Amino acid sequence: MATTELKSDAIFELLKRFLGTEEGIAVKNKVNLVYQFNISPKVTPPFFSMIVCVCLDCFLFVLWSFSYGFGLQKIGIDEVVYTIDLKKGEVIKGQYEGGKPDATFSLKDEDFIKLANGKLNPQIAFMRGALKIKGSLSAAQKFTPDIFPKPAKL
Amino acid sequence: MGWVNIPSPTAFSLLLHYFSSKSQKKTMAMRELVTGAAACAVPGSSSSSSNPLGALANALIGSSSKPLEGLKEIPTSTTTATEPPLYQDATAEDRLRGLPGADSDHSFSQHPTSQGSEFLRRFRTSDQNGFANAWDEIQRSGPPPPPALLDHGLPPPQLQPTLDGPPQRVLSNLLHSFVGSSHGGIPFRPAPLPALGLSEGDKQCIRDRSSIMARHFFADKSEDFINTQVNALLSSLDIDGDVRVKGPLPGRFQELEDYWNESQAARRPGPPQVDRWVTEFSQHRIDHGDPNVWAHSFEQQHGANGWASEFEQEQLISAADQMGGANMSNLSTMEQTRMLARTLAQNNDPKFQNSKFLQFVSKMSRGELIIDDNQVKPAALSSPGDWATEYQQQYSGGRWADEYARDQLSHGPDQWANEFAAEREQSRPVDDKWVNEFSKLHVDDWADEFGRQVGEGAFGESSTDNWADTYDEYLNEQVVAKQKPDASRGVYVFTDMNPYVGHPNPLKEGQDLFRKGLLSEAVLALEAEVLKNPDNAEGWRLLGIAHAENDDDQQAIAAMMRAHEADPTNLEVLLALGVSHTNEFEQAAALKYLYGWLQHHQKYRTLATPELSDSLYYANVARLFNKAAQMAPEDADVHIVLGVLYNLSREYDKAIAFFQTALKLKPQDYSLWNKLGATQANSVQSADAILAYQQALDLKPNYVRAWANMGISYANQVFTSASLFIILFLDSLASVG
Repeated sequence: MATTELKSDAIFELLKRFLGTEEGIAVKNKVNLVYQFNISPKVTPPFFSMIVCVCLDCFLFVLWSFSYGFGLQKIGIDEVVYTIDLKKGEVIKGQYEGGKPDATFSLKDEDFIKLANGKLNPQIAFMRGALKIKGSLSAAQKFTPDIFPKPAKL
Repeated sequence: MGWVNIPSPTAFSLLLHYFSSKSQKKTMAMRELVTGAAACAVPGSSSSSSNPLGALANALIGSSSKPLEGLKEIPTSTTTATEPPLYQDATAEDRLRGLPGADSDHSFSQHPTSQGSEFLRRFRTSDQNGFANAWDEIQRSGPPPPPALLDHGLPPPQLQPTLDGPPQRVLSNLLHSFVGSSHGGIPFRPAPLPALGLSEGDKQCIRDRSSIMARHFFADKSEDFINTQVNALLSSLDIDGDVRVKGPLPGRFQELEDYWNESQAARRPGPPQVDRWVTEFSQHRIDHGDPNVWAHSFEQQHGANGWASEFEQEQLISAADQMGGANMSNLSTMEQTRMLARTLAQNNDPKFQNSKFLQFVSKMSRGELIIDDNQVKPAALSSPGDWATEYQQQYSGGRWADEYARDQLSHGPDQWANEFAAEREQSRPVDDKWVNEFSKLHVDDWADEFGRQVGEGAFGESSTDNWADTYDEYLNEQVVAKQKPDASRGVYVFTDMNPYVGHPNPLKEGQDLFRKGLLSEAVLALEAEVLKNPDNAEGWRLLGIAHAENDDDQQAIAAMMRAHEADPTNLEVLLALGVSHTNEFEQAAALKYLYGWLQHHQKYRTLATPELSDSLYYANVARLFNKAAQMAPEDADVHIVLGVLYNLSREYDKAIAFFQTALKLKPQDYSLWNKLGATQANSVQSADAILAYQQALDLKPNYVRAWANMGISYANQVFTSASLFIILFLDSLASVG
């Protein structure tokens, strides 16, 4: 669906192309781990409240909306899963099929863009709670936004 | 601090200047400062004239309204004069002898009568000095002693009710010689004085104020010297000045003891009196414009009244938390921890909210836990008096301000992270607790990993430092974010201190600068223009383009939105908005504006169907533009829009094709070259992209965006020998050409 398209898609697409180049192969050989990214898209308020009003559990929605504000992103809602396989040098949209990924990062679409552009430090994001990490910490620490090529601007 | 270093003559002359100041207001203020009725802690002595020091001040100030010479001619020798003691109590005499300075040659029992007559003679001869006039004034204005004093059954102030001359004068002379002794830095030799019948309240005031004034006069002298001076003065006045003497007094002085305790209680928090003094003092300094070094430097550091309020704040904190015995470093640690706790509390994760780590941090911030000797201890609750005592110990005397400032500096905000890191390392047990907590929260392998690494100690050291650094960075970022909160919301943020505001024709200036390639300057000029004419679409449009070329899409979008408001049909604005939104990956917005371009175009308006504008799908829009391109294959703009559209859908090969077509039609468009280059870079054709960027930069050397893109391409590119060769070859070609 066009409207739920993630901004992050462009970055992953770029990474996919980038991993085909010699530089990409060098990165792949250096890291040699599998990362999974759970990207939470932006949810527009009418769209989301429509779904929730159908839900019986309106009370929870009220709680949710008070604690997070209306219509904003929340980690863990409607996540889009990307797998960056730096063992094989692949970017897959979907779960990793070769077992468990070394580390899984959950974050919002906006934050992912900032992260990939080097405008957000992953450690800061983790401290703020904007980035959740699951899996091996040493693998997570080897992750750096530098693996994402910066998009050029028109 | 500066005030310690002022030579006492300077201080003294300053004071004289002060007294002789022409401004009545300042004189009044100074009088209030010295008499300070409200600041006097003893009840009952609220009237300023009822205390002798106040009377002295009145006399001095009063006489200084006459020529200053009168003040200088005051015979200092009269200070040695005594009167026959009216208060011949044996105990009092003994006490006087026991005090320092009382063993001077002029013991009052030796030549009482001769000294007395000498005094009286001098008193009469000094009439014409104007001092006596002042004295008369005091006599007239002096109210009867407050009834509260009489109620207490104190040793009756024998002379005060009938005040017929000498005692007040003797006192003022004494104080004069005291002040005078500061001039030469000679030790003050107290003269035996007659019993003046001072009330306890008066004595209290004299003691407090003389010690304060002494600190001021003898700012360059040692603490001991000050104490000796003050004690000498006080002992000559039969005042219990020395804290060490504060043993229980004999029975009949019970009331005195009560007073003493009361006054001590009032003094113990220290500052209320003193800080009022400092507040007042700094205010006067500001009024006076005095080149007094310490006041200025202090104000610069802390702002006027800064330390007083700061101190009060800290006092409040410590009082509220019952935080006895806390030293300054603990207080500042608490302050910092509180900040941390607040930040952590903003975290939305309920698990984190309940974690022991957060509890620990918030306890730290409330002062319930302190870190001491590598161990976390619950803070001992003790009376606030303790810490006040400790405070006085730490900061007693003239050096306290100095130390306070140093303390402030050493605990300055930029060092807290280091400090915190150090303390974190010290509190290893807490770390472990935190780890355990974490292991409960998260999947096992994470916790194992973490635990293993903490066990190895490899993680412990490096990551705590790291973490603190990162947190520091985060705070900086927050500050920056606060400064620029509106940029992300599409509101244009103007530059502060724009030199072009007030320029007669900023739009023309901006256009010139833009043409010259001075983008930042052009932005300023154009900002001045749109501030002048907020509805100038051309100004906003140029501003938006300047920002886009300066590689700032947020600001470009904000400016272009304003241009769009002012002129909704401008095609260039619509295209620029589409491009900028594409750069920010905002597909829906980009589509909207690109479709708007089609709707408002003279030729292609017919293609746009109204029902489409409600739900824009990329495929539909692309189809319409393809139709348009077929209609007019010679129109470069349609090809450009198509190129942007295919960028949006990441069909870079098609986009490159359209841009190349457009370039054939419009080879001098530098932004088009950049668009081609960016598209090629995004489809990982770095070498080609660099060529395109170079074309753009040949046309416009100051094209920041192209430079930035070029940098990205170089960073992403592998320098195989082949590509390096090509670049060198092309460079040489360019230089030949």
